[in-house]
Amino acid sequence: MFVAALCGCGGSKVTLKNPSIPKPLIEQMQISVAARYPTSFDSFVHEERVIGKEKWSIDLGASNRILFTQLFSSMFSEFTVIDENTDAKDLQIDALIEPTIDAFEFSVPSQSQTDDFAVWIRYRIKIFDSEGVQVANWPIAAYGKSQASTFGGDQALRRAAVLAMRDAAALIILQMDKSTGISKLRDARARSNSAPPTVIPAEESMQTTAVEDIPDDAG
Amino acid sequence: MPVNTRKRPTKILQQVIIVVLAGATVSACVTSRVEHIKEAETGIAEGEAIVIMAKSYHLGNETEAKFIDCVSDAIGRGRDGLRVIPHQEFVDALFPWFEPRTAPAETKGLPTLMARPGVADIIHEQGVRYLVWLDGDTDKTAGGGSMSCAIGPGGGGCFGFAWWQNESEYEATVWDLDGLEDVGTVSADVSGTSFLPAIIIPVPLIARTRAKACKALADQLKLFIVDDDAV
Repeated sequence: MFVAALCGCGGSKVTLKNPSIPKPLIEQMQISVAARYPTSFDSFVHEERVIGKEKWSIDLGASNRILFTQLFSSMFSEFTVIDENTDAKDLQIDALIEPTIDAFEFSVPSQSQTDDFAVWIRYRIKIFDSEGVQVANWPIAAYGKSQASTFGGDQALRRAAVLAMRDAAALIILQMDKSTGISKLRDARARSNSAPPTVIPAEESMQTTAVEDIPDDAG
Repeated sequence: MPVNTRKRPTKILQQVIIVVLAGATVSACVTSRVEHIKEAETGIAEGEAIVIMAKSYHLGNETEAKFIDCVSDAIGRGRDGLRVIPHQEFVDALFPWFEPRTAPAETKGLPTLMARPGVADIIHEQGVRYLVWLDGDTDKTAGGGSMSCAIGPGGGGCFGFAWWQNESEYEATVWDLDGLEDVGTVSADVSGTSFLPAIIIPVPLIARTRAKACKALADQLKLFIVDDDAV
């Protein structure tokens, strides 16, 4: 410790163990949805090295899988998780969601010259209809911040990561249907089942690539 | 002579203890100003509660979590204490509507929020009458002096003088969830200069501006919410 103090080295390895989000206070969408997670959702580790000072790493473990499973189970009336070998076309679902992590970053107090740990997560949510056609490609940016003086270094970084995940969950609840039109896929599937169209209507075949900074309408 | 050398360390230790205790009990001076602006009548019935929240960091707010806890504790303490619901419990119960991204920034968003499924029911169940939004922080605004410390085989010590000035500026905006209106604000500005003189032993004379701002704001908020005539 004395040597570390002399050379200014330090940092820590932080592990996030099974965080959970509270049950959202929302009305479920009456739609059948499946999710397929990438392998990174089971073990995601990110490292930040402050040049000449310290090395911090965070192991998110399976927290992304837990977060999205909790969230989607609350949002949709029917929800299931499928593995990468399952063909979604064989399932009676209205939509398939594939979330991924585009980028993960964090800053520690010695970088920001503040008392704060901050975490940024950039997720990408792809949505496919029952035929396997991609209908939306939605990037979202989430942010969480926590003070080191209140919680201590490791705990503050852990809390900032959880707050960023909660931020992502809030954004998904608030904007997902508006940005991706996922709720319309149930009707689209019902129509295609009753009278199979030869041509997909232009409105439904159009892929959404929504921007992430849509103004909130909560308040 | 041998008697003197045996007594000397004890005497020095006693002096050290006296100096440290004096430093710990004597604090530097602070100046404080507490103000309020009342825009509507207030009052709180038995069983009703308040929640103390920090304004969103998405809006650039830097209020320390420790300060929120301090104000919550101070308002809930004593015979005249109010029922304070822990903010995390409130935020979790109403997830995701009071997250930093989604919390209403103005009272004009309250009707929409209360119309969302389950929100009004939970607020009613918890008996929350007032939401208090805290804004502000404590900053070091100036400082100076110098101090050097050394340690050797025969002992160690410090020599010098350092000082710094802290400013604690906080504002509490009170929303009435019955009337869905902003009923006013209470603000506390506290400044103080801390000193650290050292002749062998540093004696800190700390200006505890944040603690003073916490107590001042909490006391005034109690009066603001409870007793209409007292403020």
